[in-house]
Amino acid sequence: MLSPLIWLPITGALLIAFLPTQMTAKQARSGALAIAGTVLLWTVWLFTQFDLGNATFQMQEFLPWLPMLGLNYDLALDGLSLMMVALNSLLTWVAIYSSPDKTERPRFFYSLMLMVSGAVAGAFLAQNLLLFFLLFELELIPLYFLISVWGGPKRDYAATKFLLYTASAGVLILIGFLGIAWFGHSFDFSYESVLQVQLPLQAQLILLTILIVGFGIKVPLVPFHTWQPDTYVAASPPVAIMLGGVLAKLGTYGIFRFGMGLFPEAWSIVAPGLATWATVSVLYGSITAIAQKDIKRMVAYSSIGHMGYVLLGASAFTKLSLVGSISQMVSHGLILALLFHLVGIVEDKVGTRQLDVLNGLMNPLRGLPMVSALLILSGMASAGIPGLVGFITEFLVFQGSYSVFPVLTLCCVVGTGLTAVYFVILINRTCFGRLDSQTAYYGKVSADERVPAFVLAALVVVLGLQPSWLVHWSEATSASMVAAIPAAETVQIAEAIPESKL
Amino acid sequence: MPTATSSKTLPPSSHAFADIIHRLEAGGSMLPDTPDNLKQIIGIYKAYAVPMDFYWRGLLYISERVFLNPLPAFKYFISDEYLDRPNAYAGDNADLRIWRGQADAHPELREFMAKGELKRKLPKWMHHLWHDRINMEFAEACMQAMFWHDDINPKFNAYLDSDAYKANADGAIRAYFKGNPAMLGLYKLFPDLFLEQVKRLSYYANLGLFWEVMAPVFFEMSDLYDEGKLTTVPEAMDFLVNGIFAIAGRPIYHHLYVGDECYEIIPKSEGFTWLYEAALPYVEAVFYRTSPFRGTKSYNAQAGQVPSEPKDFHYGILYADLFPVGSAGIPPTLLMQDMLHFLPDYLVEEYQQHTRGADDTLIQLGVTFQRSMYNVTSAVIQALRTALLYPLDDPNPQHLKANRDFFEQQLDRFQRPEARLKDIQQQTYR
Amino acid sequence: MANIVEIATNTEGFSTLVAAVQAAGLVEALATGGPFTVFAPHDDAFAALPPGTVQTLVDNPPQLARILKYHVVADKLFQADWSISQTLTSLEGSPIPIRAALEVKNASVIAADIEADNGVIHVIDRVLLMG
Repeated sequence: MLSPLIWLPITGALLIAFLPTQMTAKQARSGALAIAGTVLLWTVWLFTQFDLGNATFQMQEFLPWLPMLGLNYDLALDGLSLMMVALNSLLTWVAIYSSPDKTERPRFFYSLMLMVSGAVAGAFLAQNLLLFFLLFELELIPLYFLISVWGGPKRDYAATKFLLYTASAGVLILIGFLGIAWFGHSFDFSYESVLQVQLPLQAQLILLTILIVGFGIKVPLVPFHTWQPDTYVAASPPVAIMLGGVLAKLGTYGIFRFGMGLFPEAWSIVAPGLATWATVSVLYGSITAIAQKDIKRMVAYSSIGHMGYVLLGASAFTKLSLVGSISQMVSHGLILALLFHLVGIVEDKVGTRQLDVLNGLMNPLRGLPMVSALLILSGMASAGIPGLVGFITEFLVFQGSYSVFPVLTLCCVVGTGLTAVYFVILINRTCFGRLDSQTAYYGKVSADERVPAFVLAALVVVLGLQPSWLVHWSEATSASMVAAIPAAETVQIAEAIPESKL
Repeated sequence: MPTATSSKTLPPSSHAFADIIHRLEAGGSMLPDTPDNLKQIIGIYKAYAVPMDFYWRGLLYISERVFLNPLPAFKYFISDEYLDRPNAYAGDNADLRIWRGQADAHPELREFMAKGELKRKLPKWMHHLWHDRINMEFAEACMQAMFWHDDINPKFNAYLDSDAYKANADGAIRAYFKGNPAMLGLYKLFPDLFLEQVKRLSYYANLGLFWEVMAPVFFEMSDLYDEGKLTTVPEAMDFLVNGIFAIAGRPIYHHLYVGDECYEIIPKSEGFTWLYEAALPYVEAVFYRTSPFRGTKSYNAQAGQVPSEPKDFHYGILYADLFPVGSAGIPPTLLMQDMLHFLPDYLVEEYQQHTRGADDTLIQLGVTFQRSMYNVTSAVIQALRTALLYPLDDPNPQHLKANRDFFEQQLDRFQRPEARLKDIQQQTYR
Repeated sequence: MANIVEIATNTEGFSTLVAAVQAAGLVEALATGGPFTVFAPHDDAFAALPPGTVQTLVDNPPQLARILKYHVVADKLFQADWSISQTLTSLEGSPIPIRAALEVKNASVIAADIEADNGVIHVIDRVLLMG
């Protein structure tokens, strides 16, 4: 049931790449879109099959592969994975849809995109640490090409930086996984059995730290973030959507699954430090975003800030904050994808991303009014305006975290305030003001270019108005994860409940 | 118009717009002579003439009939009498029959007034409130600009301040409010307030009489173009120059009708002429100056974004940034909307082929309008040169120098960064 | 000697001017008042105006009178009495600049100093216009 999520895109990728017929850019795109659409439909079907009450892994698939290494083809799904897989399927479809018709070397491009999507889906589903690692690394190579071949200026630099950082992250993660085996004296890497391994606290702390740093690079957390703005900016919009919308989630997913999930005792010790780290990331990302002159870079920095909320919620590990964090990953993915898509259209039509140059795109006749309107919507969603999905998830995180880390949560709330600041700057400079009649001969935005934005915007609004459709999938999983964490902390939470209800 | 020899006898101009000055000296227009420019400006003259046919009738209706109505809710609902009113310079009984065309309201105008953009016959007030009508607000904004820039029409304004005018206005006001003690009482309390309103109405009449002439001129140009008799931009300009002279002596007056009784507030015998008291002030007030329009662009007067002297204002069509910014307070936007309804087919087709086609026709026709008004301004400049200076083929180099100085002085006004003279030299400016 | 109107009437080449003066109702004033300096445009000057110009003026006597008054100065000035860059004030009220010898505004003087009972006539080759 889960395998198609991996093998459909990968088979599709191979077909598109190697089918011995002529294929135009349009055909390649349609083909990729059909495959991504099928995967998306499959994901929707998974939702119907998902057992909400069941907190454990579902839809298990197991195939022995290299048992002596402890590496098996072992897939399963819980609320967390489901959300991530859904995000991946959706954003893959959006990213392919938003790829321009005129993409060069289209067959290669679309097959790489599908490859990334399949690998990432596999990573989210993997129930085997080594399988996860393999798929995590597998996604790296196509992305390197996607950035270095189809990227903007400085793409080689950005791709190399991305490769180096992600590879180091991979090394740290591998060390962490191997460390588990080494400390636990067991070379069965299946998640189930690793969960049973009892490690001394000290070893737990060491391994957790290594894993957090490894995944933290991917998230990214300050100060391991420097690859991220360069890469997001250099990548073409569809690739940036995949990078920011999906790939970054691999980092937080890893921290959830392999950090918090495997080392609950150590987690409760590390949590305050992690929360501080997350807050620093939030504030750093938001403040730096304010200073940006390039709107894509601004969005990239905003992403650092928003991923910080996910980690804050995880550090607080109340049920509410955890649900909030998981939902925040999804909502951030949706909003970021929307932003990158819109920024991509602006760059394509206007030819610049510079705040100093952009002006008056709201102009109804010669500007990009619909894009501007959606940009405002996504800015509002990102800044957590009620009624939009960003508000729901951020509010859940803050509500859940406040009882545990009141000061840090408040600092993060300030971060959302700063989000409003830079989005007001962005929107004010870009959309409002007077369009320059000397230069404003921008192309029309076609309906095709708008579709992905409409889809994402609709989700942002609908999930903002009906949050339970987003939230309830991960409630059981969150509850079970929280339950695994030592009781001392839960007492603390219980005491804080009246306060949080105020 | 004879071609000039000035370039042979005078050294080339060193003006920033030297090319354009040489073109003017050769009898050309500020607008380059290209077939596309000709097509654009003639097409827009036609689209402009139809609403203008309403503007002048409406302006005269307001100045002669609505007058000081304290609640002029229906001032734009002009009477049939004014729709049928024969244009003094068109139709079989015209004072001067040099332009063909009919005397009463243009059929396209009548059709639009009946059905509007909705193409549906609805009560007048519905079309009015839906703004599916001719935007008289534009005409009033032009009138307001002429009224407000009070330094450009000294003789006319001096008369408005004279005792004779006061006496005439007084008689008219008393006659208009006869049997209305409330308004007469108010008049007694605030006579200057009423007088000021009458002065404003005199400008309604002024502008109405000005446009009454321009509408048949533009219709005629469109007809000539359709018949293939107008083939270059300078020809179009010369047609306007001749028109300006032909009609220069037309009297400018302000009459009030109460019932059948006519009250002469500005009698024809005051000698005010179309050229001096209407056309030239109009060009200065509307093409060059006007005033900053309300809209999404905000002006900061403290930062010097609005000139301190009204004479330095530069918000007219020759400087306009034609992006409509969407608020109803912007007169050019209203005019563009009006012209949109009457575009000839060849312009509709042309706009389809450029930039965003139907989506931004409003801007494209605005730019076309700008081009056409540069041509009209060229006609005014050439007419003034003819009237006040020397022929372009004058053998006397002193005279040619005087002509050149005049041209340079005129073009100096387009050295402001906002001026669009440079833009209209390019066909890519749309 | 004769008055200004008589001279104009009896001289070849001023039929348009005379007709205009009659239409504007200025005959009486020009014949009896004075002293005047009249810049009299030759028939060719009127003919050089675009078609319709003269007719519109003739149809509207007050407006025509105003243009004609611009050709009259309320003083008896021979050519020797004015100099370059001097400005004369017309009866209409607007100034008439003198830019060069033998020129009045943008018109050239074809025949100067024709003396009449109540003034002097200078024949010019172009109709003067205010502004």
